[in-house]
Amino acid sequence: MDEFQSSEETTFVVDEVSNIIKESVEGAIGGNAYQHNKVNQWTSNVVEQCLNQLTKLGKPFKYIVTCVIMQKNGAGLHTASSCYWDNATDGSCTVRWENKTMYCIVSVFGLSI
Amino acid sequence: MEIVYVYTKKRNEFGRQCNFSDRQAELHVDIPPDEKLAGDYIERNPCDTGIQCSQEMSEHELNTERFETESRGINHVEGGWPKDVNPAEVEQTIRFRKKVEKDENYINIIQQLGSVMEHCIQQNNAIDIYETYFHDIESDSSGEPPSAKTINVFRDPNERKRTATSLSWYPDGARKLAVSYSILEFQKSQSDTPMDSYIWDIENPNKPELALKPVSPLVCLEYNPKDPHILIAGCYNGQIGFWDTRKGSHPVEVTPIEKSHRDPVYKGIFLQSKTGTECFTTSTDGQVLWWDIRKLGEPTESLLLVPNPKENPRPMGGMSLEYEPTMPTKFMVGTEQGSVLLCNRKAKTPSDKIVCSFTQHYGPVYAVQRNPFFPKQFLSVGDWGARIWSEDLRDSAIMWTRENMSYMTDGCWSPVRPAVFFTTKMNGTVDVWDYLFKQNDPTLSIQVCDEALNSLRVQDQGRLVACGSHAGTVTLLELSDGLCNIQRNEKSSVNAMFERETKREKILETRHREMKLKERSKSQQEKDDAEKQDEESEEDLIQKAEADFFAVIEAEMKIRDTKEKQQMESLKQMNKTLTGDGNQVNNMNEELLEKDEDEVAQSPRV
Repeated sequence: MDEFQSSEETTFVVDEVSNIIKESVEGAIGGNAYQHNKVNQWTSNVVEQCLNQLTKLGKPFKYIVTCVIMQKNGAGLHTASSCYWDNATDGSCTVRWENKTMYCIVSVFGLSI
Repeated sequence: MEIVYVYTKKRNEFGRQCNFSDRQAELHVDIPPDEKLAGDYIERNPCDTGIQCSQEMSEHELNTERFETESRGINHVEGGWPKDVNPAEVEQTIRFRKKVEKDENYINIIQQLGSVMEHCIQQNNAIDIYETYFHDIESDSSGEPPSAKTINVFRDPNERKRTATSLSWYPDGARKLAVSYSILEFQKSQSDTPMDSYIWDIENPNKPELALKPVSPLVCLEYNPKDPHILIAGCYNGQIGFWDTRKGSHPVEVTPIEKSHRDPVYKGIFLQSKTGTECFTTSTDGQVLWWDIRKLGEPTESLLLVPNPKENPRPMGGMSLEYEPTMPTKFMVGTEQGSVLLCNRKAKTPSDKIVCSFTQHYGPVYAVQRNPFFPKQFLSVGDWGARIWSEDLRDSAIMWTRENMSYMTDGCWSPVRPAVFFTTKMNGTVDVWDYLFKQNDPTLSIQVCDEALNSLRVQDQGRLVACGSHAGTVTLLELSDGLCNIQRNEKSSVNAMFERETKREKILETRHREMKLKERSKSQQEKDDAEKQDEESEEDLIQKAEADFFAVIEAEMKIRDTKEKQQMESLKQMNKTLTGDGNQVNNMNEELLEKDEDEVAQSPRV
């Protein structure tokens, strides 16, 4: 392992990513109430905006971003993931955002090159 | 033998070393079900959802690039003269021409160009690019025998059958036919007789396209040639109405009954006018009335048909009208009394308006029409025949058909052939006359139906003929090509025929007049001579004649007596000689007596 790779430049910083996710969710959905015909657009907006910001960080990572939006009507939701990767460099971050009418769950997986 | 290649690559060129391990499953989100939240929602049951099962379409517009065109003209003028030559001066130009013509180069060029030019000209001559092909073949249809076939029959849809009194073709393309129905027999129509008249699509005989619903049955109707939606129609009670087919079945306006005709309106025609709204009508009440359909409150003009106010102050009833748009002030009226009146609308006094009359029919003139090619000649139909008149000759028609066994009821010229006209008869036949072909008999006689035909109208193209019958059946006939294509030289030969007949009739007329004059002068002379002796001789002449008569008779009686005595004596002698043969003697006796009687009977005449 090279000495400069272990620095902050090359690791997956969860705080940084979780900020990016929150910002992009706020930007795409904001205070909107759940509307079935808008959800499609929202999810893709969230995902794209997230990915945009992540690539701007300029780190040698592959990213996987997923977004789930669910109406708040009393149903339960459970998601889980499991990975086989380089535990030292790679990482994931999941943000759960909600307003009065919906949940928005965004997960980002960063895989270093 | 063993060959071994060794490839070498540095470790760092393979990228980072893989050092993968498993990460345990990680729960991202865990939201438990919350029934309280469900309370915020109201179930919608039932649900209204619209679905469509149709292809989705989109509309796009685009503009093609415009290609701009422009027309320009160039005027070529004489030019190309050298600077020192003034083209306006003849002398200078001639001198220059001569100089050029002597030039050897010029001659060579002209010779060269000449052959090129000749080639072009000959090309033009060899191929006639404006040639029309097969134009001789068309006129061949004259060879086949004339014929006609029935295309459609339109029956009056009502239970009580009425007469199809008049027909009018839709002026724009003639795909429709307006037919008026009414019962013309006196007091035959009853209160339950329907009043409607119909407009038929000629393709559909099952149902009329439109019903016209007047207040009184229609006797005549006519499309406006300028506006095919508008019709005028004359009613049985004398009123005139106009219909706009866009506005439905009811008349747009009807003339007030006190200003209308007082008898059935037998004919109405649209006049040639700028607005196309003026028309005129006639009726058997003896009036011709002019109308403007924009205001039917009262007639714009009227004329009473009294051609001879001094001799006969009673007006003549109008049965038919003729109007030729090229002669806008003239018109003709066929009357119930058998004459055709030629009238001029613009004359100053009412008596001048009736220019002259043509009287030769013995019954009502049911149709008058000018020949569409020679408007001076016109056709009239009445009694047992049709007559062709020339406007110049008032005493007699120039041509006429033989008198038929049944009455003629209507007639008209073919609009495309100057020599052809059509007539209908009471026995249900339509006759087609081609006067160039033969004059004695119709060229074609078609038995259309068993009852009387009442009306006839030819479509403008001259191919379709519609005729209406007494029971309201309208039959549509299609004529063969020979009858609706103008023949070669037909116009000129018809013109020649009309002229010849007019000339003949004129000669006859002048001769007739001369004879009359002679007779008149002769009778005048005789009258003069007779007048002198008249008073003294009149009674003497009778006495003299009587005396002569009796003298002759007495003389004859004497002769007879003496003869009888002689005969009796000779008989007695014969009796004595021939006692046995009594029979013979008796016979001889009778013969002798007969002879004597004959002689006596003849003698007074001698």
